[in-house]
Amino acid sequence: MGLREDLERFREVGEERREDLTEFIEHGDLGGSGPDAVRVPIKIVDLPEFAYDQRDVGGIGQGQGGTPEPGQPVDPGDDGDEDGQPGEEGGDHEYYEMDPEEFAKELDEALGLDLEPKGKEVVEEVDGEFTELTRSGPNSTLDFERFFKSGLRRKLATDFDESYVREAVRVAGVGPDDVFHWLREQNVLVSRAFVIDAWEGAPDHDRWASFEEMDANVERETAVERIRREGLNQIPFRRDDERYRHPETVTRRERNVVVVNVRDVSGSMRERKRELVERTFTPLDWYLQGKYDRAEFVYIAHDADAWEVEREEFFGIRSGGGTRISSAYELTREILDERYPWNEWNRYVLAAGDSENSSNDTTENVVPMMREIPANLHGYVETQPGGTAINATHAEEVETAFEGDDGVVVAYVSEQSDVTDAIYRILSTQEAE
Amino acid sequence: MRDDRTAARRAAARLEEPVREAGRLARKLGLDPYRVNYWVVTNDEMNQLIAYDGFQSRFPHWRWGMKYDRQRKQSQFGLGKAFEIVNNDDPANAFLQESNSLADQKAVITHVEAHGDFFANNGWFGLFTDGDGQTGPSAGTQVDRDDDDRPRGPDAAALLERHAETVAGYMEDPEIGRETVERFIDTVSTLTDTIDQHSAYAEAVKTGEDIDPEDLRERLDAMDLSSDVRGQVFDEEWLEERAEAEAEARLDEPRRDVLAYLREHGMCYDEETDRAVEMADWQRETLEILRREAYYFAGQRVTKVMNEGWAAYWESLMMGEERFAGVDEFLTYADHQARVLGSPGLNPYKLGKELWEYVENTTNRREVIERLLRVEGVTWRNFHEAVDFDEAERLLEPHPTIAGAGPDVLGDLAEMAANGDPRVDPKGVDRAQSGTVDPEKYPWELLTYEGLAERHFSLAKPQYREFLQRVSRERLEETARYLFDDERYATIEEALADVDRGAGWDRMREVRESHNDVTFVDAFLTEEFVRDNHYFTYEFARSSGDYRVTSAEYEDVKKKLLLRFTNFGKPTVNVYDGNFDNRGELLLGHEYNGVTLDVEQAKGVLERAYKLWGRPVNLATIVKEYDEHDLEIARRRNREPTPRETGRRIRFDGEEFETHELDTQIEERISASEVDYDTKPEEWLA
Repeated sequence: MGLREDLERFREVGEERREDLTEFIEHGDLGGSGPDAVRVPIKIVDLPEFAYDQRDVGGIGQGQGGTPEPGQPVDPGDDGDEDGQPGEEGGDHEYYEMDPEEFAKELDEALGLDLEPKGKEVVEEVDGEFTELTRSGPNSTLDFERFFKSGLRRKLATDFDESYVREAVRVAGVGPDDVFHWLREQNVLVSRAFVIDAWEGAPDHDRWASFEEMDANVERETAVERIRREGLNQIPFRRDDERYRHPETVTRRERNVVVVNVRDVSGSMRERKRELVERTFTPLDWYLQGKYDRAEFVYIAHDADAWEVEREEFFGIRSGGGTRISSAYELTREILDERYPWNEWNRYVLAAGDSENSSNDTTENVVPMMREIPANLHGYVETQPGGTAINATHAEEVETAFEGDDGVVVAYVSEQSDVTDAIYRILSTQEAE
Repeated sequence: MRDDRTAARRAAARLEEPVREAGRLARKLGLDPYRVNYWVVTNDEMNQLIAYDGFQSRFPHWRWGMKYDRQRKQSQFGLGKAFEIVNNDDPANAFLQESNSLADQKAVITHVEAHGDFFANNGWFGLFTDGDGQTGPSAGTQVDRDDDDRPRGPDAAALLERHAETVAGYMEDPEIGRETVERFIDTVSTLTDTIDQHSAYAEAVKTGEDIDPEDLRERLDAMDLSSDVRGQVFDEEWLEERAEAEAEARLDEPRRDVLAYLREHGMCYDEETDRAVEMADWQRETLEILRREAYYFAGQRVTKVMNEGWAAYWESLMMGEERFAGVDEFLTYADHQARVLGSPGLNPYKLGKELWEYVENTTNRREVIERLLRVEGVTWRNFHEAVDFDEAERLLEPHPTIAGAGPDVLGDLAEMAANGDPRVDPKGVDRAQSGTVDPEKYPWELLTYEGLAERHFSLAKPQYREFLQRVSRERLEETARYLFDDERYATIEEALADVDRGAGWDRMREVRESHNDVTFVDAFLTEEFVRDNHYFTYEFARSSGDYRVTSAEYEDVKKKLLLRFTNFGKPTVNVYDGNFDNRGELLLGHEYNGVTLDVEQAKGVLERAYKLWGRPVNLATIVKEYDEHDLEIARRRNREPTPRETGRRIRFDGEEFETHELDTQIEERISASEVDYDTKPEEWLA
């Protein structure tokens, strides 16, 4: 017993969905309460209890910088106390929030990702550790570990299971050539000469009716098992494996990044879609902020027109107008050219919306502009809860136009659980330098 | 925790002195905490402890795994790490995050000492130990304590450990099995909030098949009243009538503790025989374990705001004003405090701390006013003209030697001590002079409680200077009304010299003994607080289909706040009948306060209650129904529709739900008439 086991049990309950709990499994929020807070979806199993009807109970909120007027709409999540019950956690503890750098590190580990941010500005060059390698040098700088590994790798590459080969040549009705080809197909790294010798030296040629029969009855031993059994007596060292270390020239770069976040705020972008954008963008912002020495963020909202906004407003805005995505790219180009020259800045242009656009705008305007605006990455995140809609073609059109281009990524988010995948997809795509 | 890690050992060694001194300082300030054992733990250990509510061992259940998973992700994704967790135990155990800076650790230690005081002295925590919470093998064990006059607090770690062993034993029993036990725990967990958290914990026992109505006579016998009193107040005839009435109505008063009732009278449904059978011993015991833990944790759930506020208040006083944070640590501490108090939303640290400060200031002000109103010629009518507030402020300033107690004024302090000044601690001064105590680092050693109270008298602090002057005429008149001897002092100076500087702190300690969050907020939440923090209420608007701000009025905000704290912020559901309809059915009643139940969830609970009752279960509640036509009109006119409140009885018979009209008598019994938690304005503003 113990907590590890409780965690196992929770996984079983949560993933295998014990049938009586199915209806209570939901993906909840794990979110800080501040404006910069990140929300990470987590799985919760909530048992039923006597509770108030959420709609009937109402609640308390706290205005930021002023008390709102009665009649104004509010988001009930805004009061920052998501559990709704003080003291639910039982214990008393205080929290502090982590900084973006720590966050980026954790996310790298969680996603198995280690994005090395590209640098732009060369600041200085210094002598670093002895990590660079050349083929000649004084003995004291010989990289023996590497030398040994090369030898070992060669041994593994040329080693094969001799007893297996000696059985293969005893299959009835095949010649040494057949044996050699068959063995090679089985990835046995044997030479033709060895097979011929073995065939000639075999006690008989009728022990096995077929290769299949022989393979089923003879255990193949891997090279590693063999080395473990026999020990490592002979490593085929070669002179050309020798490498000598010399100091590396380290170029310290200042890494500047500008992230342009573009969001469709038109009438079709309802609450759910808006929320999915926020769930995707916020961790991305955090991540890039943690990875670069200097990160700046530009927020652009658009319907049929585009305008720049502050972060605080960005996720909250809703307008009624139609949609013309190219308006946002026009503004993006203007802002980037003016403030963030390509030779000094790493640029990420990330747009999100429900993929609805006015007709032909994508192919005629957006795609050419995406080609023209230089950036490390152009991304589009389609948030379409519950799958696709008929008019929603922007994402697809972009994807088709840029197929095979690793500077452009399109991700689809239709529910909370897609968020992590989308983040991974976006962060693991980057134009090769 | 693993003691062998050098990092932890080193961190722990650095903390020995702060721990010892924080304990001394807390006691000097009038706090009376349980002894606290401190442990330094890694981040992962911290996450585990939080999952287990601050303990090292709990009964096996997937819920802890879920909490652990959440906690781990929370710290992994940078959504916050815990500084510490402390549990209510005697001695208490506090676990400190290894990665905390020394300034963080000091802050956390002062914070924890104040929690330790709250655990030991708040009556709502006492409910568990006053009751049967202490029964068990280790009850009454003597622990090494410096305060022998206090009855022993909870022995919680041992209790939870015993529970863990018992439950694990059932799970390992091949006749029962983990899955079965865990499902049973799930079932009971849906009802662990339906206890009587305002009463002392008493072990529930099986009382037999029939439900005996309580005969008051037995209880009176036990109370050992004199026969005179008994004869006069409760005559035999009345008692007889009452006993009969009770026998008839079965449960005259609804029973708040649903779990206890199920423990006493519950059965379980047996599929094979298609009838209710007795619960197995392991089921009864598991139910009681969960119930006992619910009572144990109830104390901290009903005092969250008070307790966190109390800790934040004393932490700030010790760290900031008494300079427990060294000069070089002060900025780090200020940042620490800002992070804790500054997180937005309904922050219990901030809300609680400000309410405590309000208690302190109003008590101190009352003390000062009572003195001033006794000055010749000062009355409540002319108070604002007759009192020179600049002079009063100056007179309330602490004595310079007391305010500046430290190495520079050791000589003066020694002299004051020699003259018997009650504000100076002669032993402390001695020790400072002989070099055993560093008066630079620990100046409070030189003063007594009285001296410290003067040094920190709230109305002399810059941020509260105006507080005295701002007193209203109503408050003055009210104070004056109960004053006699109102010409006692000739001058203001004379009057203020008599001010008891400890009045605020004394009152705070009284309040911390008896209040819980509901009474605390009710008594001390001010209009100012609501306004300054921009609190508002919101409700769901049927006309627009979303949530709208309804009010920023003090009364409305307070109402909603109280709703959130009352009964853990959950609806109250009691047992109304154990033999409903004379068919042995259970009748639960939702005490309707104007806010309806989440019916879907309630049905989920009924399904589980059925498993613990063995026979059909009923829930009486009131639902709000909206007429389609009214809704349509509401949408068009942008006005809120009026619901029709209708009584309903939801019945679950083990297979399906039925909804019936509610008997009007029961409906009357479950409806509260006076309460109204709705904050929608009369005329809906769009």
